[in-house]
Amino acid sequence: MEKHIIFNIGRQFGSGGKSIANRIGQVLGIPVYDGEILSEAARQSGISPEFFEKQDEKRRSWGIGSIFGANRYASGYSTGSGINDAELFRIQSETIREIASRGNAIFVGRASDYVLRDLDCCVDVFICAPVEARVERIRERLGIDSDEKAAALIEKRDKGRAEYYNFFTQGHWGKSSGYDICIDSSILGIEGTADLIIDFAKRSGKL
Amino acid sequence: MEGQTAAAPTELGTLKISTLLRKFAVPGIIAQTAASLYNMVDSIYIGHIPDVGPYAISGLAVTFPLMNISIALGTLVGVGAMTMISILLGQKNYGAANKVLSNVLSLNVIIGVVFTVVAIAFLDPILRFFGATDNTLPFARDYMLIILLGNTFTHLLHGFNGIIRSSGHPKTAMGLTLFTVISNAILDPVFIFVFGLGIKGAALATVFCQILALIYTFRFLADKKRFLHFPRPIFQLNWRIAKQSMAIGLGPFLMNLAACLVALFINQQLLRYGGDLAIGSYGIVNRFTMLFVMICMGFNQGLQPIAGYNYGARQYKRVKEIFVLTLKWELLITVLCFLFSELFPEVAVRLFTNDENLVQMASKGLRLMNAGFAIVGVGIVTSNFFQCLGMVKTSIFLSLSRQLIFLLPLIYTLPLLWQETGVWISFPISDVVSAIVSIILVARLFRKFDKLSDGEEPTLLGSSVK
Repeated sequence: MEKHIIFNIGRQFGSGGKSIANRIGQVLGIPVYDGEILSEAARQSGISPEFFEKQDEKRRSWGIGSIFGANRYASGYSTGSGINDAELFRIQSETIREIASRGNAIFVGRASDYVLRDLDCCVDVFICAPVEARVERIRERLGIDSDEKAAALIEKRDKGRAEYYNFFTQGHWGKSSGYDICIDSSILGIEGTADLIIDFAKRSGKL
Repeated sequence: MEGQTAAAPTELGTLKISTLLRKFAVPGIIAQTAASLYNMVDSIYIGHIPDVGPYAISGLAVTFPLMNISIALGTLVGVGAMTMISILLGQKNYGAANKVLSNVLSLNVIIGVVFTVVAIAFLDPILRFFGATDNTLPFARDYMLIILLGNTFTHLLHGFNGIIRSSGHPKTAMGLTLFTVISNAILDPVFIFVFGLGIKGAALATVFCQILALIYTFRFLADKKRFLHFPRPIFQLNWRIAKQSMAIGLGPFLMNLAACLVALFINQQLLRYGGDLAIGSYGIVNRFTMLFVMICMGFNQGLQPIAGYNYGARQYKRVKEIFVLTLKWELLITVLCFLFSELFPEVAVRLFTNDENLVQMASKGLRLMNAGFAIVGVGIVTSNFFQCLGMVKTSIFLSLSRQLIFLLPLIYTLPLLWQETGVWISFPISDVVSAIVSIILVARLFRKFDKLSDGEEPTLLGSSVK
């Protein structure tokens, strides 16, 4: 196979990770997979997309809902088929591997850096940003009317992403040593950050 | 691997339903039957110890709630770890899987030892609270002391056996289960009668067989040639892994704890209205009935992946089909139990005891308690069915309804009118009521299914997914 590159982009909620991914994809002409991973996984497995969306980058670990949810979660663990979270993650991972084997790709979230950790052609990126910048972006994107609400949403979503990632990978979401490059997107902006990542990929010899 | 994904478990969506059920249910049925035979064997031998038989079997029955707590603690650690290990193995993350394995070892040792120390320190008051009297306490204490000393080994065996099963060696796991059942059945009479150890012998044989099986699991999991093996150092405790696995195990843990609570109330009411022998009778009836319930649980295990996948794939007709087929099988099992209980109660009871008083009382108990058992299959399969579809609240409500919500008020009110008989007839009433509730709930669900064609999103099911 000819030279082949995969970008795995982890991101804090509101840091502009998706926009940066799209920009890289646009410049390099590489498809970007975000929610598309889910619909692809659903198509391949025959399971309705709704189930993948429900589980997407969320894990509730404690609290009443999860105490009972835990039953659903554990059900079918011994047979390895069904609609429990573990099985959905497995199917989704297979889909990510399958897309990666087809050619260049940019994956946003879904622990793709972990799923593809054995591939040499990956550039693992983590995008962060100060809370103020993220609050502003989130308010604009979702039309939220107060800073507090936006900040609360950010905290909740980041916690969900961290729990999801850490549970399935036993790694550490957002810990710098787990990535090739971590960037604060508020300094160079969307385009500047995307350009920097492309430059990084070129210099690393992967592009 | 081009164009081909291992991801699609499509056979669940295409193969004939009856073929699928056979494939997925048979291993579960064998495992569950073996587990309940294991419990029956001790009771059978203990019930035949000369002279002291009836009190010994009552003493054994008194220990059930305490055993339930112990099982609950085992699931708290085991179920979550099994799930995590199978996720990690699926991603070929052997390092982390081995860490979880080591965590299972450490957590089980810690929890097991603490439970043993606390339970032994307060053994007499605990057993009295669970319904022991001066007649039965010596037997309950003798038996439980040894079981508690072996408690950590039991937890470890169940934990490791589950992990061996979910790591791709179901046959080894089943072999181990069968080994403990058969060796226990052979060693029980040797320890009880040949060595003259009485009820202590039954406990010793149980623990001894478990230790033998545990040694095998250790050797199996210490083998470095396997992907999954104990890391070095072998005792590792990772708080994050512990928290994650216990969060998964919490649901099953609470359900087991609820079972313990119910057993406790039943024992107390039986003691109040019927004395020691009533508890012994319940012990016999329970052991006998449990065999049939466990076979149904085996069918449930087969139902889970099939119903779950097809619901996920929006193939409502197949979902209904698998439910109906499993229901038929489980009804057949519970009807058999009902017929046996009503027609030949003494035959069943005499397996467990020779004592005429106990035979009379337990036969009466068996007849009354299982008078509504013919339709219990409906409740068992329905509760599990809702769980497969992710409708967890309904599932929890149904599984608590038969054993707790409807039963408890009855066993506290009916004896006021009919004494001991009142306790016994609480069971069939609760069985029938909860079966009716199950039928109503499942009929409502199927009416909605009928409005959906295959492939359609179930927005009108409302609570199903959210």
